[in-house]
Amino acid sequence: MSANKTYWSGLDELDRTSEFERISGQEFPAERPIDEFLSDERLEKVSTGRRDFLKFMGFSLTAATLAACETPVVKSIPYVNKPETITPGVANYYASTLYNGSDYASVLVKTREGRPIFIKPNIAAPLGQVNARVNADVLGLYDSARLQGPTMGGAASTWADLDAAALEALKAEGRKVVLTNTVLSPSLKRAINTYCTAHEAEHIQYDAVSYRAIREVASADFGRNEFPSFDFSAAEAVVTLGADFMGTWAESLRYASDWASSRRPESGRMAKLFAFESTLSLTGSNADHRSMVAPADTGRVAAALLAELTNGSTVSGLSDMTQAAVSSAAEALKKAGPKGLVVSGSNDIHVQRLVGAINRALGAEGTTMLWTGNQMFAGDHAALAALTADMKAGNVASLLVHGCNPAYNAPDADAFVAGLSKVGFSVSTALFADETASRCSAVAPTHHWLESWGDLQRTAGSIELMQPTIAPLFSSREAGESMLAWAGEASAWNKYIQGTTATSSWNNALYGGFMDIAAVASVASVVMPTDLADALKAVNAVKGGKLQASFYQKVAAGDGQSAANPMLQETPDPISKVTWDNYVTLSRVDMEAMGLNLHLAEKDWASVVKVQVNGQSVELPAFAQPGQAPGTLGIALGYGRGASGEAIGRAAFQVTGDGEHLTDDNGNLVPIGANVFGLVADQQGLPQYTALDVTVEATGAEYALACTQMHHTFMGRDSIVKETTFGDYLPEKSAPRGEASWNKSMGLGVHADVNGDGEINALDKKTLDNFDMWHEHAVDEVGHRWGMAIDLTSCTGCSACVTACHIENNVSVVGKDEVLRHRDMHWMRIDRFYASDWSQERGAEEGVGVIGSYALMEEPSANPETVHMPMMCQHCNHAPCETVCPVAATTHSNEGMNQMAYNRCIGTRYCANNCPFKVRRFNWFNYSGNDKFQHSNPAQDAMTRLVLNPDVVVRTRGVMEKCSLCVQRTQEGKLVAKKASAPIVDGAVQTACAEACPTHAITFGDLNDSKSKVRATYDNNRAYHALEEVGIQPNVAYLTKVRNNDKA
Amino acid sequence: MFRLEHAKGLNAVVTASKALVLLAIFGLGSPAFAGVWDTGDIENGQALFNANCATCHKVTDEVLAAPGLAGISERWGASEEMLLLWIQDPQAAAELGDPYVKGIVERYVGTYGWMTGQAVSAADVSDIMAYVQNPPDVVASTASSEDCPTIDFSPETGAPQGTLWFLILLTLFLIVALSAASVKRVLKNAIASKEGHEKIEDGTYWNRVTLWTWENRTFVGILSVFVTAYIVVIGYQALMGIGVYQAYSPSQPIKFIHSVHVCENEIDCQYCHHSAEESKHAGIPSTNVCMNCHKAVKSGTRYGETEIAKIYEAIGFDAATGTYFDAEGNGGHPLPQEDFGGEPIAWNKVHNLPDHVFFSHQQHVEVGGLHCQNCHGDVGKFSVGRIAPVEEINALIDDFPGLIQLSKPTLTMGWCIECHNKAEISFASSGYYEEMHDRLRDDIRGNEELRLFMEDGKATVKELGGWECAKCHY
Repeated sequence: MSANKTYWSGLDELDRTSEFERISGQEFPAERPIDEFLSDERLEKVSTGRRDFLKFMGFSLTAATLAACETPVVKSIPYVNKPETITPGVANYYASTLYNGSDYASVLVKTREGRPIFIKPNIAAPLGQVNARVNADVLGLYDSARLQGPTMGGAASTWADLDAAALEALKAEGRKVVLTNTVLSPSLKRAINTYCTAHEAEHIQYDAVSYRAIREVASADFGRNEFPSFDFSAAEAVVTLGADFMGTWAESLRYASDWASSRRPESGRMAKLFAFESTLSLTGSNADHRSMVAPADTGRVAAALLAELTNGSTVSGLSDMTQAAVSSAAEALKKAGPKGLVVSGSNDIHVQRLVGAINRALGAEGTTMLWTGNQMFAGDHAALAALTADMKAGNVASLLVHGCNPAYNAPDADAFVAGLSKVGFSVSTALFADETASRCSAVAPTHHWLESWGDLQRTAGSIELMQPTIAPLFSSREAGESMLAWAGEASAWNKYIQGTTATSSWNNALYGGFMDIAAVASVASVVMPTDLADALKAVNAVKGGKLQASFYQKVAAGDGQSAANPMLQETPDPISKVTWDNYVTLSRVDMEAMGLNLHLAEKDWASVVKVQVNGQSVELPAFAQPGQAPGTLGIALGYGRGASGEAIGRAAFQVTGDGEHLTDDNGNLVPIGANVFGLVADQQGLPQYTALDVTVEATGAEYALACTQMHHTFMGRDSIVKETTFGDYLPEKSAPRGEASWNKSMGLGVHADVNGDGEINALDKKTLDNFDMWHEHAVDEVGHRWGMAIDLTSCTGCSACVTACHIENNVSVVGKDEVLRHRDMHWMRIDRFYASDWSQERGAEEGVGVIGSYALMEEPSANPETVHMPMMCQHCNHAPCETVCPVAATTHSNEGMNQMAYNRCIGTRYCANNCPFKVRRFNWFNYSGNDKFQHSNPAQDAMTRLVLNPDVVVRTRGVMEKCSLCVQRTQEGKLVAKKASAPIVDGAVQTACAEACPTHAITFGDLNDSKSKVRATYDNNRAYHALEEVGIQPNVAYLTKVRNNDKA
Repeated sequence: MFRLEHAKGLNAVVTASKALVLLAIFGLGSPAFAGVWDTGDIENGQALFNANCATCHKVTDEVLAAPGLAGISERWGASEEMLLLWIQDPQAAAELGDPYVKGIVERYVGTYGWMTGQAVSAADVSDIMAYVQNPPDVVASTASSEDCPTIDFSPETGAPQGTLWFLILLTLFLIVALSAASVKRVLKNAIASKEGHEKIEDGTYWNRVTLWTWENRTFVGILSVFVTAYIVVIGYQALMGIGVYQAYSPSQPIKFIHSVHVCENEIDCQYCHHSAEESKHAGIPSTNVCMNCHKAVKSGTRYGETEIAKIYEAIGFDAATGTYFDAEGNGGHPLPQEDFGGEPIAWNKVHNLPDHVFFSHQQHVEVGGLHCQNCHGDVGKFSVGRIAPVEEINALIDDFPGLIQLSKPTLTMGWCIECHNKAEISFASSGYYEEMHDRLRDDIRGNEELRLFMEDGKATVKELGGWECAKCHY
């Protein structure tokens, strides 16, 4: 912690609003509606008198007591024919692969009694990482809104009828098209080819979010028909121009993991990241140097970088501050040479050509930019536009849509919808009757990926395999099988896949989830003549309006395909901490100028604004986002799903306070947020995710945003976070723990001459372990001591741990209304702190530096630094919660865990009030039964509840809950060891969060195992305990955050 | 999903080459294998037969999982070497193309599948064949129903019904008595008014009761002390009994008799409840496990064929042909058909734990080394499943010398933690516990802890954390 930094959770804390002051003093700030309930008005309507009430209560009590005496009869139904591989009560794991058009992950699927219940990374495979979108997708399997079987004209049909209709329709004359996302499966490509050959059809691919410009540059300037594989693990200096490569951009899963591996301070090596962006992204929040640049200036920044690197001309039109940032970035890139890398989120061909030229100038090809035959993002929006035009002209006889949803996410979705009605026969293979499928003549639902066989080839060197982890829940059929059937060459899909790629050991490949194949010999690098004059001219000609917009993807929502996943909807955005909603991010100065509400709380709602782009408009609430470049705004894609009430899942729509679906005047369901894919301009096949001239006006309406940034604040105790810079770290790299200047053990002043200077004063301090009001818990060195260490340097805030934890532990989803009341049930949250140097006023007040020295700087809080800090129960050895529980429901185990016995808890909530970390959650409702949560809580759906983990109890109303350190897993791990007659192998027992973390920021294990990884991390000199001065001796340690942002 | 058929292709090659080698050995170098039909030792043959063959074959002509062997010496139409090879490795024998063997393959393998090769020597086969040709009279099973009494814990006890009748009669009696009294009063009043007397003002019953009580207040006072004490005791006992399910024995869809299986036929508990050693659940056996025996045992000793027929119905077994039906109702399948779609047997769960309790059989059976009887009592005497009362379990001390005597009712938390307080952990029992012991020993604080543990000469489950909430509740 630098002495001149302040940490704040949001503008409310920065401005010390009265609502913030009220909330921070209370563990449960939401008002209970007792007065409202007992108000005369309400009581008059109630016909029940006091005496009647007592009678009813007495009767109910007696009835309940009598009912409790009855022995409940529980059925126990064994298999008729037990599959050999299933033992009730024992989990099986299957290797599979997820690919949905944007994410690509090798995973292990945990199944219990044949039900997939958890997704974790397959670390043995080439792409063994998960993010929040991947591990939460296990809920998607059980969505009861999925199509139960084939439909024709909106009515249920049979496969035989559908096949007959399709074969008949395919005889018609006219253009026949297969429209898909980027197909990576060799077998599906084969099936599409067969289909196309049989019916003289053509195959068109497009991606929901296009990366076409990069592929065009790869092809034009590098002679490669592929997407470059960026290797961030080899990088020493990275510049990102608006590419959120840790969160959502391109192959973010892999990048985030690689990036963290290049930043381990202990190794003495730390890559440096410069970000130039308008909206604060996950990547920007983790950047060492972040500059706020309007979208129109992105090209100029690229040009300026290129100029500095090649000593060419300078570029005009950048502010001094941006120019300075570009210069320091260029310097770092120069120093890194081939280990430098520049990426850009722009889909403008000119910007990408400049970026390509920079990387070539650096010599990044072969080190940080590899050619591996990567076939991701092959989509072609120009072909989609041409198809749409053809459809509107009535020239298309048949259309087969697979893996994409153009009626929702095409740049001109309205035209597509209009054209679709003129297509002779259209069929979709979607799992839901979504925007596109519901408008097709027929739907032939494919399997969910957890029910599918499949092969996927991302790069030339390996093929990843999918295998079913459960028999198909509904009467669905693999899309490839449908295509083969309609091509007249019906074949069983799993046999077909095996026929695509010859392998000697299919079973081994399936076991591991992938097979290495002989890579095609790498073609020698092609140096294409590059004339950048056009590109430079073009980027310099870009003019931005007064207000510019960028359309980005949120970490949990992605491109919108999991809009009905309540777990993802309730996962707070890592930056804004808003749940369940879409909004317009604006800078504080712009919002103040427009007179919009800056501060949000339960009863302080956000102002709704109308954003107009090229004659189209959306209305969304405005959110004041620190770090948003003034004069710019950001809106997330992926919202507004099911705008015409399509059955895409119950959680995709807004609900009222009673839990019923909200309906508009026409009785239609109201989607969450607004769809801004329609605001994306298609520039000759290159959709531009920026709009350079937009207008914003307040509508006067207000809208509640459920934002968790004010929940569970630390009441100004800054000792929660410690950070330093790489330059300060290196000299003291080997300092003993507690002695480095950036991680000094705290001492408390005592009234005795401790330092022997003959005086009793503030210098007389004793270390914290001298003070204790509790008896010591004998956990150190005795038996196990489960502990955790979290490296704040590696943590990106991506929230994969959040969803993993909540799925593993059956944590309730409570819906927006309850989140608004501070009642989210998150066992694991990621506290996002903004850190800024003192403000101008504070600097003046404190008399630091010369008065006026801040005048030339921008307001520091406008572009703050960010800290992401995963926070869960710290399992204090001297836990304040344990001492206040009147019924001993929360106690300490001799393995160092703070245990919570739900069935003992009577709900006094004293423990939560006494917890300095504010990690205890109270069950205000019976979330799995109360009607208020009927559309949000997965346990309320007869189908979705199959995802519940049978090893963890579902808590009921009136009890406290919190992180258990995955005690069900440590118990299992001990049992495995006992049976093996051996000590527990380090790493064999993992918590869900540690397992899911793509950057390996979380280490879990037995602290009493002197050789364990967690012990070593725990003893690292960067390790500290949060709120050390409280003296509670947590079993969770954090590692000081190291930023590589020293002034050169 | 990928475990199946690992190396079928490989098998064919191996079998063929193995067949040649085997035949070479027996054809050239093994003069001893002759006279297989008449030189063996019957007693040894019986033992070998029971160990290797009896699962599928009978010595009569009855079909079990494979044809009966009566008359095999007359039937066998190939060489004696071929017989040995056929027993040791049937597929290898078939490879050699002997016409008789080919005939057997064609006739039986389709129905019963390939026989598993048996690791028996030439001498063993001679002994087995001696036994098969001259089986001694069938010996009674090791135990009979006389040795294995079944305690019939009838699921419906008559008591509640008796109480109900008593209450109904009591109510009727009260109504009659009160009506009679009322009639008597009306008549008295009628007489009184007729005779011109004043009406008897005797007030309500309640007035008369209070009057009587006041007059006999000493007696009523003493009585009420006893009545109150009685109610308190009864009430307390009733409340303590809530959630205690000792001797709970619900009726079951099949009148399964444990004593027949466990005691008479000496089947190990874990043959059926096999997941006790690998899972937290002991599990109720799936129907295909029942079929391991009941494919042959088609009639029970108590209920004949009626109860066993329920298993057949669930799994689609045709007792007449000894084969299984498929989804279309076609029989003739040697193995249960997955697509048959029979209704699984819905048993009533006997040992119910609340949802917030996580108990692991694996931990107690495999690691703790407990006998099933430690918690479940002498199941060998039960008919259907039942929660054995703690007194019954304690009484088993003679049969199980290490049994821990407990006082709290079975399957209550008091019972669990009482045992955790008494049960000893042997550090030497597992490498895991050795490590835990070493950690204690090597540390000053741990050493002190260890000394406290061992003050009574043993380390109990409780001392190692067995009384902590999150060991069972999470």
